Amino acid sequence: MNLLLELLQILFFPGILFALLLAFIYEWLDRKIYAKLQNRVGPLYTGPNGILQPFADFIKLLAKEDIVPDETDKPLFNALPIVALTLSLTGFLVLPIIDLRGIISFNGDLIFLIALMTLICIVIIYAGISSSNRFSTVGAERAALQLLGYEIPMMLSAASIGILANSMWVYNIVSVQVNTVWFLVGPGILGFAIFILCGQAELERIPFDIPEAETEIVAGWLTEFSGRKLALFRLTRDVELLYLSGLAVALFLGGPSGPIISGLEPVLYPIYFLLKTFFVLFLLTTLRALFARLRIDQMVNFSWKYLVPIAILQVLLVRVIV
Amino acid sequence: MMQEENLQKEEKKSSYELFFDIPVGPQHPALKEPAFFKFKVEGEKVTGVDVDVSYNHRGIEKALEQRNYIQNIYLIERICGICNVAHTLCYAQAVEQLYGKEIPTRANYIRLLIEELARIHSHMLWLGVAAHEIGFDTLFMYVWRDREVVMDLIEMLTGNRVTTAINTIGGVRRDISDEAKDKVKKGMNILEERLKYYRKVALNDPTVNARCSGVGILKPRDAIKLCAVGPTLRASGIKNDVRKDDSYALHDEVPFNVITYDTMDVLARVLVRVDETLESVNMVKYCLDHMPSGDVRIKLPLSPPVGEAVSRVEAPRGELIHYVRSNGTKNPERYKVRTPTFGNIPSVCEMLTSKGDYEVNIADIPIVLASIDPCFSCTARMEFRDVSKDKTWIWSLEELKAYCKRQGSL
Repeated sequence: MNLLLELLQILFFPGILFALLLAFIYEWLDRKIYAKLQNRVGPLYTGPNGILQPFADFIKLLAKEDIVPDETDKPLFNALPIVALTLSLTGFLVLPIIDLRGIISFNGDLIFLIALMTLICIVIIYAGISSSNRFSTVGAERAALQLLGYEIPMMLSAASIGILANSMWVYNIVSVQVNTVWFLVGPGILGFAIFILCGQAELERIPFDIPEAETEIVAGWLTEFSGRKLALFRLTRDVELLYLSGLAVALFLGGPSGPIISGLEPVLYPIYFLLKTFFVLFLLTTLRALFARLRIDQMVNFSWKYLVPIAILQVLLVRVIV
Repeated sequence: MMQEENLQKEEKKSSYELFFDIPVGPQHPALKEPAFFKFKVEGEKVTGVDVDVSYNHRGIEKALEQRNYIQNIYLIERICGICNVAHTLCYAQAVEQLYGKEIPTRANYIRLLIEELARIHSHMLWLGVAAHEIGFDTLFMYVWRDREVVMDLIEMLTGNRVTTAINTIGGVRRDISDEAKDKVKKGMNILEERLKYYRKVALNDPTVNARCSGVGILKPRDAIKLCAVGPTLRASGIKNDVRKDDSYALHDEVPFNVITYDTMDVLARVLVRVDETLESVNMVKYCLDHMPSGDVRIKLPLSPPVGEAVSRVEAPRGELIHYVRSNGTKNPERYKVRTPTFGNIPSVCEMLTSKGDYEVNIADIPIVLASIDPCFSCTARMEFRDVSKDKTWIWSLEELKAYCKRQGSL
């Protein structure tokens, strides 16, 4: 019985189906807010207020011709979109949504979550190289350099939270916040800023959309992917956006907790989760509208000159407090 | 033997990893029109560039010889959509020189007014495109939203948003009413405020500065040597503007400053254009206040007398030259157009080549290319190519005629 329940949780709510549904809605929200900030209307026609537009885009791409160029490394080229989507969905299962712990929860799962993000980036590097396209190669090169830039500050900011909660288990991190205050309010504010910035780089969004810079290298590492594969990669991006917002919520905003009426937790927790992830999404989208794209050397420079020292400062600060 | 082959293969592979060519064009998101740039890159560093602009040869000069002078106005207008006013103005001036007739002052004022409105619209369009090239889509959307103000004014004054068809031989086709004047003034006030804001953005935004300053350097000496024109030249600190140096259409009466910046980079080109747009706003206001009453057009016979004429106009992108030769019939005998982008191509190749300390990244390519405000459809030139011998050459008209005769006699 328990096994069946867990299986249902993984497949439907709050598992894979929920993640996919939410991913489409969050892409729509992202596009809509971005458009509003730019004085545009954004998606409008498909469904009420264009809410079905991301889904329509996905279906359309699925129906498009799927071209595999001769020069590509075919096994890699074909497998990578699926691997990428699987990785991001796996991450989602670890996030706490209907409970203070995720569907999959174990001691040290924070490290697993961070590792998943790096793995997705490595998939991207392989995707670029396996395409054997000049633009893709440059894109992959840039993705690798960018990983060097943002990975360490992001890990340090997550580590500082680990020190605060005295545990690398997301469940413990959330429960400490439930019992005391959100880490965002206290000493974690620097870490939160770093986490959001690095998240922007992980998601390859402006000002860090360097690996797929449209005007420079066409679509970067994505250039050769078309049809179903492109659809899966785009879906990966959406799920990753959701996953990153969810992780930020779990680490800094007290996870799905909030004022609780006893007995209603399974209903209230997801609502709080949605509200908080929406807040993080709003931050990420606003950042996207504020800047021009940086150059890769400027990005790595910025990261090592400012982000890494601040992240180290954050760890020291937290260490002193604890 | 096998080993040698393997060794060769490996050598090839490693050199491929070090240097390879990045093709930009004929179709590329950074280019709005077909042109081909082949960049030799070493990692992210650009070490060389090869250019081919002939993807869109439309044979306009030949077509002009087969139509009469009135029909040609509409063909000339379609050389370039964005600088159509500059083209028709240049054409009308050249043909009027053939007749040796002066046009009414009010017509000249209207010509200048529309020319400056078109400059505002062109520069704002460019600013938006430049913002898009550096990935600043918010600025892009904002600039293009505000550009609608001037587009609406142009539509109100001429009947069309882009292809204005206002200049004609002997004057302009429409007069400006007093109500229209008030509307234009109001629009100019809005634009002035917005442009000052964009100037502040260009100067203060850290990411815009990071992407634009120190990028795409063109030294004054190179700029002169490579015959750069327009804002590209002025951003290298050289005071050169056809409107000042060889005034036409009352530019000597309407006061304005020639904007120059001496930082020689893309940021300088942005600022030159923004400041020029502000100057244009002031010129439009001046025109509205000082416009005399009177006719806007004189009637001229269909066929101009025998002769030839050259006319120069400062198009938004730089100096535009038209040459016309008449043999007394109703069609021109020869027509020649030199567009500003063609003059700027050697300069852009110079900007895109790394030399010594000056390093060009792949990421800089789009914004540096865009910084000359390229318009490639006007640049196509014909050359001959023998594929079997891999030889390319260009013929003068006389040589081409001689070749045709030879072919005819065979």
